[in-house]
Amino acid sequence: MAVLGIPILEDLYPSTMDMWPLEAKEFNRSWQFYENLKAGRLTTTKCKSCGHVAYPPRVICPECYSEDLEYTDLPTKGKVIVFSEEVKGVPLGFDSPLIHAVVDLGVDPARRVLTRIVNCAAGTLKQGDEVQLAVFPVPALPIDKGKQGTIMSERVFFAFEPVKK
Amino acid sequence: MARNAVILAGGQCKWGVREAHIVDLFQEAAKACLDDVPNLKPKDIDGLIVATSYAGRCSFQVNTAPVIAERCGLKPTSICTRCDTLCAGGSTAIILAKGLVEAGAADIVMAAGGEKLYTPQKWEVFYSELASVDHDWDGVHGMGLPPPFFALTAQEHMMHYGTKKEDLAAVSVANYNYAATNPVAQMQKALTLEEAMGAPIVVPPLTLYDCCPITDGAAACIITTEEIARKFTDRPLVYIRGTAQTCLNSVSANFPGAHLADWKHTRIAAEKAYGRAKVSASDIKVAQTHDCFSISEVIEVEELGFCKKGEGGEFCRSKQIEIGGKVPVNTDGGLLAVGHPFGATGIRQGTEIMKQLQGRARHQVKDADIGLTHNLSGANAEHTILVYGRTPVK
Ligand SMILES: [Zn+2]
Repeated sequence: MAVLGIPILEDLYPSTMDMWPLEAKEFNRSWQFYENLKAGRLTTTKCKSCGHVAYPPRVICPECYSEDLEYTDLPTKGKVIVFSEEVKGVPLGFDSPLIHAVVDLGVDPARRVLTRIVNCAAGTLKQGDEVQLAVFPVPALPIDKGKQGTIMSERVFFAFEPVKK
Repeated sequence: MARNAVILAGGQCKWGVREAHIVDLFQEAAKACLDDVPNLKPKDIDGLIVATSYAGRCSFQVNTAPVIAERCGLKPTSICTRCDTLCAGGSTAIILAKGLVEAGAADIVMAAGGEKLYTPQKWEVFYSELASVDHDWDGVHGMGLPPPFFALTAQEHMMHYGTKKEDLAAVSVANYNYAATNPVAQMQKALTLEEAMGAPIVVPPLTLYDCCPITDGAAACIITTEEIARKFTDRPLVYIRGTAQTCLNSVSANFPGAHLADWKHTRIAAEKAYGRAKVSASDIKVAQTHDCFSISEVIEVEELGFCKKGEGGEFCRSKQIEIGGKVPVNTDGGLLAVGHPFGATGIRQGTEIMKQLQGRARHQVKDADIGLTHNLSGANAEHTILVYGRTPVK
């Protein structure tokens, strides 16, 4: 697979041009968030010292700076507060319609989560609609393991989708 | 005796789609800046603060300050560094320069900002904009390019305060008409309300003229002390009276207001900057606010205290932002029409306020003695405000 104009990048992976997070344990201490997504769970970190729930997940508690955190589940269903639809001129990496919504998951700190809405035709979403977590695969992350060669670390990401009535 | 920081000179290159390298744009801006005060020479400058956010991605250049210093013929001996606060980068450079010259850590500092965003392949800048917001939590949802975020913001302003599309269009018309005679603006075109109302859709309710363009460009200004400035110019001195930069969140889910049209962090920044400048909102005679989108200016005139919360649409539609209005805003054309090369914008704004307070602006506000610049940056993650005045605060 050649990179146009840069022949030396033939078959190489430039992480600086990867639109998805570097989710693998080797590169991300919040890797468990993505592992939980693979199991259909939307999670974040809760502080075991002071009880503060932070979104997105952390490696320290932003309130008390404790490192003693655990993953806790957020609701996977919510209601659309407001949304926008981009039909023309959608940027590379996204399909038309590119729909964004502020979604209320009903608990702090997830009262106003800004997310993409997928599996939804243009012109069909309404304020107040119920939406649910949608987990989808994204390209695997190629990690250079030296003598063992390159391993492909599976990845997923999430959006929300309308709940089918 | 207290060292009071002033803005001595300022200038920008032609902004738009430029057939130029980023280092070319910075050189053009440095020349425009020194041409503004011909007595000032490159050898007089002992500090450089560069503001650029996309040099790393779009020009394959990090550690930009030494590169820009050398290309611009500067040999700074007190400070030579770079800051990256995206849309607020230029204003950040001015705030830092003020602190350095008032502390005696530098004497004559050039604050220079710029971006080269148009690359040989059109897709790349849009793709790279995923980095303009929190990459892994907002950019990855396709929130890097800002129209969707500000479309949501506009909808919430309409829902809560009854703002209409005509109110947004009034901002576009005012700012385009300010820029129509500005030779360095990207959009030198008078705009009618009918054209603005009938423009192609971007993300509803935002249409073409509601959104600032993508811009190549650079700007530079000189921050020094009043004593030093008097050696170089006979013009009235313009003091940086007070500043503030407020950041309460980065990820959009943690937006500090009750909704996206409630900008608590702007109010905090304004209160701090007004306090330090010993002024109140009613003292501001001219303002350059961050009109990345028409809706932004509507909300900014509210949160900066020029009108009541929720009445920004009416304020703009009733021409209070135009010459002769209560607070003329974005008198050189703003981001909407001059363009928005992120790191350069705050310097362009500071330069316009300097000219207004010296009585030499293209669209002059009568008796302007106190002026303000404002930026928002990221997914509305940070607000930066500077208050300028004809007299020092101390
Ligand atoms: Zn804690």
